[in-house]
Amino acid sequence: MAVGIGLLFVVPVVIRSMIDGFVSMEGEGGGGYSFVAPEWVRSVADVLGVGTGVVTSLMVAGTLIIVVTVMAGLFQYLKGHLAARASEAIVRSLRNTLHSHLAALPATYFDTAETGDLVQRCTSDVETVRVFLAAQVVEIGRSILLVVCVTPVLFALSASLAWVTLALLPLLVIYSVFFFGRLTRYFTDVDEAEARLTTVLQENLTGIRVVRSFGRREFEEQKFTAANHEHRDKTNLLMRLLARFWGFSDLVCMSQGGLVLFFGAWWTLRGEITLGTMVAFTMYSAYVIWPVRQMGRTLVDAGKARVSLRRLGEVLAVQHEDATDEVIEDPLSKLSGSIHVKDLSFSYGRGNKLERGGPRERDDQQEARQVLQSVSFELQAGQTLALLGPPGSGKSTLIRLLLRLYDYDGDGGSGSIELDGYELSGLSRDFIRNQVAVVMQDPFLYARTIDENLLFGRPTASSEDIQAATSAAAIHDSIEGFSEGYGTMLGERGVTLSGGQKQRLAIARVLLKQAPILILDDALSAVDHETEGLIMKALGQRRGQHTTIIIAHRLSCVTQADLILVFDQGRVVERGKHEGLLAQGGAYSRLWAIQSAFKRQIDAHGNRPDLAGESKINEVRP
Amino acid sequence: MSAQQVKGPDQEDTRSDSGLDLALWGELFRYAMRYKRQLVGLAFFALTTGFCDVCFPLVSRALIDEMIQLTESGGGFPEGSDWLMPYLWAYAALVLGLSGSVFFFIRYAGFLKAYMAADIREAGFGKLQLLEFAYFDKRPIGWLMARMTSDCERLARILAWGALDVLWASTFLVGIACVMLYLSWKLAVLVLLVAPLLAIASRFFQKRMLTASRSIRKINSTITADFNESIQGVLTTKSFVREQDNLASFEKKTDAMFESSVRNAVLAAAYLPVILSIGSLSTAAALILGGYQVAGGVISLGTLVAFLSYTRMLFEPLQQLAHIFSEMQMAQASGERIIEMIATEPAICDSELVKKKIADQAHDPVPGRAIDGDPDQLGRIVFQDVEFSYLPGETVLEGINVTVPEGETVALVGSTGGGKSTLVSLLCRFYEPTGGVISIDGCDLRERSLDWLQSHLGIVLQDPHLFSGSVLENIRYGQLHATDDEVYRAARTVGAEVTILRLPGGYGFNVGAGGSLLSAGERQLVSFARAILAEPRILIMDEATSSIDMETELQIQKGLERVLEGRTSFVIAHRLSTIEGADRILVIEGGRIVEEGSHLDLMAARGRYHELHARQGIDEVGVHIEDWS
Repeated sequence: MAVGIGLLFVVPVVIRSMIDGFVSMEGEGGGGYSFVAPEWVRSVADVLGVGTGVVTSLMVAGTLIIVVTVMAGLFQYLKGHLAARASEAIVRSLRNTLHSHLAALPATYFDTAETGDLVQRCTSDVETVRVFLAAQVVEIGRSILLVVCVTPVLFALSASLAWVTLALLPLLVIYSVFFFGRLTRYFTDVDEAEARLTTVLQENLTGIRVVRSFGRREFEEQKFTAANHEHRDKTNLLMRLLARFWGFSDLVCMSQGGLVLFFGAWWTLRGEITLGTMVAFTMYSAYVIWPVRQMGRTLVDAGKARVSLRRLGEVLAVQHEDATDEVIEDPLSKLSGSIHVKDLSFSYGRGNKLERGGPRERDDQQEARQVLQSVSFELQAGQTLALLGPPGSGKSTLIRLLLRLYDYDGDGGSGSIELDGYELSGLSRDFIRNQVAVVMQDPFLYARTIDENLLFGRPTASSEDIQAATSAAAIHDSIEGFSEGYGTMLGERGVTLSGGQKQRLAIARVLLKQAPILILDDALSAVDHETEGLIMKALGQRRGQHTTIIIAHRLSCVTQADLILVFDQGRVVERGKHEGLLAQGGAYSRLWAIQSAFKRQIDAHGNRPDLAGESKINEVRP
Repeated sequence: MSAQQVKGPDQEDTRSDSGLDLALWGELFRYAMRYKRQLVGLAFFALTTGFCDVCFPLVSRALIDEMIQLTESGGGFPEGSDWLMPYLWAYAALVLGLSGSVFFFIRYAGFLKAYMAADIREAGFGKLQLLEFAYFDKRPIGWLMARMTSDCERLARILAWGALDVLWASTFLVGIACVMLYLSWKLAVLVLLVAPLLAIASRFFQKRMLTASRSIRKINSTITADFNESIQGVLTTKSFVREQDNLASFEKKTDAMFESSVRNAVLAAAYLPVILSIGSLSTAAALILGGYQVAGGVISLGTLVAFLSYTRMLFEPLQQLAHIFSEMQMAQASGERIIEMIATEPAICDSELVKKKIADQAHDPVPGRAIDGDPDQLGRIVFQDVEFSYLPGETVLEGINVTVPEGETVALVGSTGGGKSTLVSLLCRFYEPTGGVISIDGCDLRERSLDWLQSHLGIVLQDPHLFSGSVLENIRYGQLHATDDEVYRAARTVGAEVTILRLPGGYGFNVGAGGSLLSAGERQLVSFARAILAEPRILIMDEATSSIDMETELQIQKGLERVLEGRTSFVIAHRLSTIEGADRILVIEGGRIVEEGSHLDLMAARGRYHELHARQGIDEVGVHIEDWS
């Protein structure tokens, strides 16, 4: 880079010497100029064995200009190439770090984080940093080097004119620094307005069906217009600030050029410097001022990059879920699957929500939410546990604790969970998750082929294994129905599955996993009854192979369970087997009554059911 | 709804480098025409900037020539500085003119950019509020978001700065050419010979950079998708311990990104030096020929210096022009998509007739009538030979004939993908039947106002969408002017209050984006309350209680009985117990109504409904039924 810059200086010097060649004999020829070749041209001419006439000298100088520019260009190219490699490599590792960081964050982080916001940080903020690294860091280095290199050359040519050349620089620098502070503030404003606009837009588009069905077009348009205009006005203010900066910096730069020109002219006439020096100076002053003037752009990018780096820092500062773990030695073999839960309590409180650097800490004011209170139960390997209860009663939380997605040994929880006699918090998360196969309430499928999604369960599964699993989950026929069968792409660029199909595919996926513990968290809610019956039958045939936990609303899924827990407000209000619970005459038996009342009517072909349990329903609720 | 084979629209600009589509840019430019004052200002100051830029070397030239004149003639040093003053003033005027112009053109370009982006976005948003759901089915939200955010910004930026750059660069180029031709036409021709060369080289590089940056954007969108997936699927990834594998496949993408980006950067790094080298040809040519002419007394030394300055200034506007053309070419696809979106005629909207009726009613209102002047009631609903397909040739519904008297509760049952949801979507006019007629009180739905119809519907979906904000705000969405008490009452009616009060902060609980901080069941309860608050004439529940336990569901039903008094409702459910109280049950299989009647009729008929029921009954009740009774 330095060599490249050094070469850049040669051109004005060449031009200077040529011009001085003309003026040195000034006034002798009538109307024209005569020419004396400068010293260096003469020596070059000597070497080449040509004369030192006007044409030859000019030819030599012209060739030199071309050669020097090409060489400088070569260095500039090398510089660009290296800078690109370096900055792109940094960004690549930043992206990879972010990706693995996100995967290692605790599940609680994602409860409150907004996907759109996180994705934006990982993409546009990284891009902003990339632009800054690729374009500006090198530019800053170049500018500094240029100023550092040019200064001694200037002083060597003419000290007094050099002072003039640098005179207004401090003014520009001070103004830029002052401007930088304001700029960052304006940028943050625009960024925030943009985030609000994006949120309004995103919410409107994801909820477009709700908007339509309530006829809320005007309301939404008002909301959008407000956000849109705010963003527009903030942007306009920012542009006004930039206009002022550029206008002013141009004023300073041009005045600077003027100073050089006029002082140069003055001193040339006084004979203190030559005309060539003056012309060279006007060129050099562009070298000094141009990068300083570019500082505006650099500062704009630096301001953006600073904001982006802060936003990325916030994400990266969140601790990994294993951050507090000590080194853990896992049992070598597969577990058999017995579960022992003792006195387990848990609350989503401050302790479990992220405290540092969440994307939006909007839940700060929300107090702790007690989700589980003193839950205990014991399950032998191969047994089936069923969980019942109203929404928000803590069933799904229990599952997440079992997977160590949430930690019960943290601030919000107490009690113990043992798998095969090992305390859960003493096992590594990966180990536990390899022992448990779970279908979530709202299963997630990757935007890949059906086959690839299934293989996540067990990468080594044969196509027979896969077919066995999909048949058990009653999805095989549907898959065969797609034009590309198991090779069908899922997601935006492929097939969109219905809720029931997603659930069934997710079940097939966990069946392939063959883990000792199988958990179905309301995994059949979108499946129709006939299909549900088929799946339950298939699961029944695997009885004893897995310890199974089922969360369901339909009692048909739970009658066969070895243990049924009825949850309400985080407590187990009833426990036992189907028959025992019926005999207790509590909440379970009422649920049963509701369902079987219909059944009796059906069998009797009688009147409409009178819903025996209905009048007591409210007693169950607090 | 069954799995629809819906291909997302292509996310990337796959179009080839077909030149500039001027019609498209003209269309976009209409947005700029709203701000004529700023546009004229922008043009004016672009011209003055170019003018000032051309003049600077002229002042230097005159100054140098004057200096030489002075030294030649007098040989001595002139007294005072009077001779310098005119130049000083001229220069100062140029400096002020230039910086003033720069200030104003940035000001105007910034203004135009901000306002045009907002205008284009507003037009797009307004249109999106009118377009039918089929439009949204085919376009993922991420795609629409990209159109409405980055594309709008980009187009506005190109329009504003592009207009500026084109004006400035052309003024500058023409100015330089004229001045040079005037000063010395021979020298000018020689110097300008390089211009086409510069232009060709610029196009060459810009074109390649365009292709490279396209491939970068393509990879970038897969990286974005990957981040999206890794966040949304984080629990699944964790539960399958897939972190390492996912990272490995992600790293492949970032590697590809690295390669493409470096390739692009290398092109960019080569571009400027090549341009500078070509530029140095003209500098050298000017120096050689100019120097020769100076020696021969053909031109003055000042002219030579001016020429040398011009040759170095020449490549800047050329480069700018090449850049702006490439940018326009690159943004063309975005522009097309947005213009297309804004120009899309909603497939489902009020017909001319209905618009006229609405205008008449607004102009001369008949009391007690709806906004379209017809009776303000939603009574008997008739489906007559209704047919529907999402895609031609894939029939979803056919031969649907049903009459639903006012106030009836209609239940739709049948296996997944049978067309139940589609049937109610047709009633909501979210989709238009491809055949047959749906009418209300004898009036074709298409002859009534769409807004009027939809504002009288209450719809609760299986996976209801909530807006970020408190529970209270979400319920109030059903009726914006409802008091707090009315909101509480609605929540109580559907039995949601117990659950809501259990949340920290109760009604003030912030549900998070899309309601993500609530469980599926809680979301369903809140959306139920929201629908009830709207006091819809027709209530539609599509698997609305699938994630709610039976007890809560029963409570909802009890509450609904009161609310539904006299209202028509449609219920879709898998749980048969949910629907037995319905006045009319439609069993829908394979897009047809295979059975219709009350629960008892259908049970007696021992058809498909009985079969469904028996299967479910046995599963649910099993052999224990005797123990219980």
